[in-house]
Amino acid sequence: MNSDIQQVTTFFNKKRFRLTVLILILGMAYVGASFGLGFQTQSLLGVQDGMIWLLKNFVPNATSNGYWSEILQQLYRTFLVAVTSTTCAAVVSLFLAILGAKTLTVSKALSWLIRGFSSLMRNIPIVAWAMILLFSFKQNDLTGFLALFFMTLGFLTRAFMETIEDFGTEKIQALQATGATYLQVIFQGLLPEVAVALLTWVLYMIENNVRDATLVGLLTGTGIGFIFNLYFKSLRYGAAGLVVLSVIILVVTVELISNLVGRLLA
Amino acid sequence: MLTVKHLAKSYDGEKKSLTDVSFSVRPGEVTVIIGPSGAGKTTILRSINQLIRDDDGEILFDSTDMRQLNRSQLRRARTRIGMIFQNYNLIEPLTAIENVLHGCLGTKSNLAGMFSIYSADEKQEALKLLEKVGLRDFAYQQCRNLSGGQEQRVGIARALMQHPKIILCDEPIASLDPKSTITVMDILRNLATAEGISVLINLHQVDIARHYADHVIGINNGQVVFDDATSALTDVAVTNIYRKDANQEGSLMYEL
Amino acid sequence: MIKPDNPVTLPTQAPTGPHFSIPLRFRDRRRVTILLTLMVLSVITLSTLPLMMPTDFKLSEAVVSFLENIKIMFLQPSLTNTSFMSLLIALGQSILLAFLTTLIGSVIAFFFALASTRRLAPTALILGIQSFMAVIRAIPTVLWVLIYSVVFGLGANAAVIGITFHSVAYLTKVYADSMDELSPDIIDTMQAMGLKKGAIIRQAVIPYLIPSYLSWTFIRFEINFADAIAVGAAAGAGGIGYQLFMSSSFYFNFHEVGVMVYLIMAFAIVLEVISYRLRMMTNSH
Repeated sequence: MNSDIQQVTTFFNKKRFRLTVLILILGMAYVGASFGLGFQTQSLLGVQDGMIWLLKNFVPNATSNGYWSEILQQLYRTFLVAVTSTTCAAVVSLFLAILGAKTLTVSKALSWLIRGFSSLMRNIPIVAWAMILLFSFKQNDLTGFLALFFMTLGFLTRAFMETIEDFGTEKIQALQATGATYLQVIFQGLLPEVAVALLTWVLYMIENNVRDATLVGLLTGTGIGFIFNLYFKSLRYGAAGLVVLSVIILVVTVELISNLVGRLLA
Repeated sequence: MLTVKHLAKSYDGEKKSLTDVSFSVRPGEVTVIIGPSGAGKTTILRSINQLIRDDDGEILFDSTDMRQLNRSQLRRARTRIGMIFQNYNLIEPLTAIENVLHGCLGTKSNLAGMFSIYSADEKQEALKLLEKVGLRDFAYQQCRNLSGGQEQRVGIARALMQHPKIILCDEPIASLDPKSTITVMDILRNLATAEGISVLINLHQVDIARHYADHVIGINNGQVVFDDATSALTDVAVTNIYRKDANQEGSLMYEL
Repeated sequence: MIKPDNPVTLPTQAPTGPHFSIPLRFRDRRRVTILLTLMVLSVITLSTLPLMMPTDFKLSEAVVSFLENIKIMFLQPSLTNTSFMSLLIALGQSILLAFLTTLIGSVIAFFFALASTRRLAPTALILGIQSFMAVIRAIPTVLWVLIYSVVFGLGANAAVIGITFHSVAYLTKVYADSMDELSPDIIDTMQAMGLKKGAIIRQAVIPYLIPSYLSWTFIRFEINFADAIAVGAAAGAGGIGYQLFMSSSFYFNFHEVGVMVYLIMAFAIVLEVISYRLRMMTNSH
């Protein structure tokens, strides 16, 4: 019996040993990465300073209040760019996803072509999109719109494709067995079934793009990102704080609306 | 051992799920609760260790009222009440021996729980219990690779690891094949006879109840309609326990 | 790859039976919501698109020059101002940044998630943490980095903390959601045996959580890599993002941009393949 107990002890010791090794490796990786980047761990203790800075500048005062109208106007434009780029990308993505989904595609080669295209679109960093577009389309909303559009196109094509493939071949075959044409299968069978899932993806992407639009704006000199950068670089921190506050309000509002729609769809 | 007095519970505040349920369980006996689906069998069982908070009544376990205990007292009382479930509720990614050892964690420190620290005696006992339920060779198997009957036996070993005075069994054989059913029921019967543990079982199958129980409690529509030795469970009594009430027709139809 | 915060689930078919009134009403509400949402989106889009076009703008010229640049990028990548080695180092820095922020973020988020799990924490605490995290999530990563660059100065500290902030907020939500998805029976069973909270978490919650914890953390790593590049470009926080920004907006050298984009894409596609494998592995369990 003693050797049996020993076996149990060894079992737990092995588990503990593996965990210890894992933690040690991660710890060493942490130290190595910090060293490689020049990150000082003690700065984690300074986290509250940024929050305090933010809170101080959140409080609107007489000078920063004068910026409200400009901020709101840019906020509105940013929101429009985010929504419009998502919707346009969604329309094109749906088309591509139907052509590319393994369960529906007309040819395997086309399916792989669309997969490759969507992977390309998605993995070109948004910074690169923004900068190339900025060079040709100059500093305006169209540049931001196109950068978000290309990026979203990549994401939604893949997401839509996966959703359609999850729908399965059996239901499609069942419809085809009744003599339905390709288009009838799609419009009568597939779309009504996956509409909710697709719309959930679109709403999620709108949320995401409102945030990304700020980044793109910063790079291309448009919208809310631009004026944040402007105030920030010119040390008008009060106004910059207001911009952050307005972005929070916008994103949270979009999230709440999207949750509400999501609940109505469930 | 265990005495339940005037237990009452309603989930939505209007429709009573239990009305005035009283019975008692004696040591070393197998007591079986039978009754139609939705009669309140699970509610009774889960009220005993207060997984479900009932509305009214008294639950005397070892002459303390479970309903009057504060959180830490309740936690301590629960360490002496074993429970097994229809779906076994083992931690499936872990091995059988780890699951059995969970049974003794209730009496150990948080630190022991977090770092899986067990004494030699506890390890030995866990192995013995696995042997007892015939699974010594499966000690280092992940529970998700075990069959239903094997999982339920690990569940029993885990409950025994608690040194329980009573074991509550919530439909323990509802998901098992006939052969495993007999194995599991034999083990439970033997626990009562040989070790003097009280065993309280929720069941659907009347024939199983007749074969294994010392005492049968019949529940219908949240009320005790039968409470007697197994020998008194005549066919007439069974029909009465499973009778349709007008307001219950829906749930009964479902069961048939 | 990005996943929605609330995993997409297809609605189950409404049961057909004698009670027609309920499923019909149910389906109607869904259909009306879909139609209304689509209508609102179309109205916004159709009314915005014409305004998008700037005045005095020659679209064809812009498109031609854009295509020309794309061609330079993808077909004629080459380096002039920098060496391939220094680009690799810059890429390495961005990867380290993504790794470090994911690591710190996942550890901190794990504890926040425990404190905001429905079955283990008091409601007030859960609500507090959830709304705090929602606010943090609402601020784009770049703004966090810029805000922290005021406190720490521009550099690694600001970049790490800024990206970590967003990671913590994101991971707290998804970890807590996967804990909430855990069957309540598991925790009930452990409580029925009288286990203490620490033991329940370690012995029951964690073993079940490991697969989803790993896959969410990996997804966050992919996002953090993209964020590391964006932050490097927009906040000047170094790495390959900064190089990308310099080549494209300072030197206007699209040959160089091409090399960098290829490098970044190669790594991103490797990540995508790994995450696909990871998902297959967890699904098979």
